[in-house]
Amino acid sequence: MLKLSPAAQKSANLVYHFAQRETKSRYKRSLLGWFWSFVNPLTTVAVYSFVFGVVYRASPPATENGNAENFGFFLFSGLITWNLFTSIVNGCMGWLQSVSDLRKKVYFPTETALLGGAASNALQTSLEAFVLVAIMAALSNLSWTVVFLLVALLCTIAFGLGVGFVVAIMNARYRDIFYLVGVLLNVGFFLVPVVYPVSFVPEQKWGLPIRALVEWNPPALFVGIARDGVYFLEVPTLGHLAAASAWATLTLTVGWTYFRARSMDISEEP
Amino acid sequence: MTIGQITVRNVSKRFRLERNRPSSLKEALLRTGRRDIDDFWVLRNVDFEIEPGSFFGLIGHNGSGKSTLLRLIANIHRPTSGQITTEGRMSALLELGSGFHPDLTGRENVYLNGAMLGLSRRHMNDAMDKIIDFSGIGDFIDEPVKIYSSGMYVRLGFAVSVSVDPEILLVDEVIAVGDEAFQHRCMDHMNLLREKGCTIVLVSHNAALMGDLCDTIAWLDHGRMLELGDPAPVLEKYLDHMRGGGTTLTTRD
Repeated sequence: MLKLSPAAQKSANLVYHFAQRETKSRYKRSLLGWFWSFVNPLTTVAVYSFVFGVVYRASPPATENGNAENFGFFLFSGLITWNLFTSIVNGCMGWLQSVSDLRKKVYFPTETALLGGAASNALQTSLEAFVLVAIMAALSNLSWTVVFLLVALLCTIAFGLGVGFVVAIMNARYRDIFYLVGVLLNVGFFLVPVVYPVSFVPEQKWGLPIRALVEWNPPALFVGIARDGVYFLEVPTLGHLAAASAWATLTLTVGWTYFRARSMDISEEP
Repeated sequence: MTIGQITVRNVSKRFRLERNRPSSLKEALLRTGRRDIDDFWVLRNVDFEIEPGSFFGLIGHNGSGKSTLLRLIANIHRPTSGQITTEGRMSALLELGSGFHPDLTGRENVYLNGAMLGLSRRHMNDAMDKIIDFSGIGDFIDEPVKIYSSGMYVRLGFAVSVSVDPEILLVDEVIAVGDEAFQHRCMDHMNLLREKGCTIVLVSHNAALMGDLCDTIAWLDHGRMLELGDPAPVLEKYLDHMRGGGTTLTTRD
């Protein structure tokens, strides 16, 4: 068995504890429990499919074999990544806040609460991903490229945690951050090509290379890679993969460093 | 460093009291430059060592900084300057229900506390019966701790702290909350831990209690350490001082 140092063992125990607590408390006192975690993405997919597929008659982007050409699946494959990102960023602020009183009374590494929460969200997303992959398999639209869905989700977790570490610390001081982040994420949902393919975006507008801006921003890269792997069954371009992993690593490193430098001050916030 | 040793090197702690501290971004941005900051030095240049296995007492008037020092040793706050090093598994009883999350049940809190001390779930499972028995909580162990009485809080807290086999135990007067019988059991248990070689740091202004228990006593006054040494002479000076009107102004600059 893997032998960890006492400090790492302690952190691992705490991450497990917080992950379990988050998972248990999520659907506490609800009869249908985990079922609710599917209802939200599925209704979103259904509503958007109706609005864009039926009302606007938007045809879903063409795939090679055409088996799963459906606006809902196109959307679901992008939404899964975007939702993981927002739930981690929003979650980080809440998780840190929920342990801050405890941290004023006893020492423990606060990052474990954020890591545990993120692990719980990742678990939920993996259930959604499982449903998506199962549907794709049933429609015989599945290939080994499905591993890129995993790559995209891992990059999203790293990137989301990096952002989450920073906003959680800032939110401990100024509660405005929570609302500001909410607004930015709402805007982000439409700026990231979740409901539309990136090819719909004009290359130039107002003298700005807006397609490149949309294409190369980190959440859009993750959405694109997930979609390549599970919807188009294509291998993402090397450029996209390199940029996505660079964004993920860099953001996580910066966020982690910032968090470590500031997290001891949490116990002195009023 | 040996297990159970605590070194406090030239430690100072400053708390910032910000008057009209901006609580939103808007305020913070609109009022640049005009912030009232009061620096308050709770501890100044405190320097000492606690030998492994000793029973160490911190005594001083209200607001002398003794509890802050204990919180620094517990790593809750970071010293503004200086350094504190501790070696060994440390368990702290700093205030009522310290380390308890109000919404979790007693049992869940026991696991959480164990995890914070680096102990596995399995270890806590083994210790659970002992903890329930020692605290006398009974069936309340599966109720959220927010409905506990203050006595139950402190009993469970103490039971957890001592059952995890600490190598360093920090206690901040909380034991005074329990009834006589419980206090006796606490004393017995602290003696037991001490025989096992656990370092114990106790904060109190009960001179009689400190005299009975401690090997060494440090006397803090307005954030500075005035005396350090054997209990009898330090306590004598401390009591003389307290009888003589309480606070000195000579130590304040």
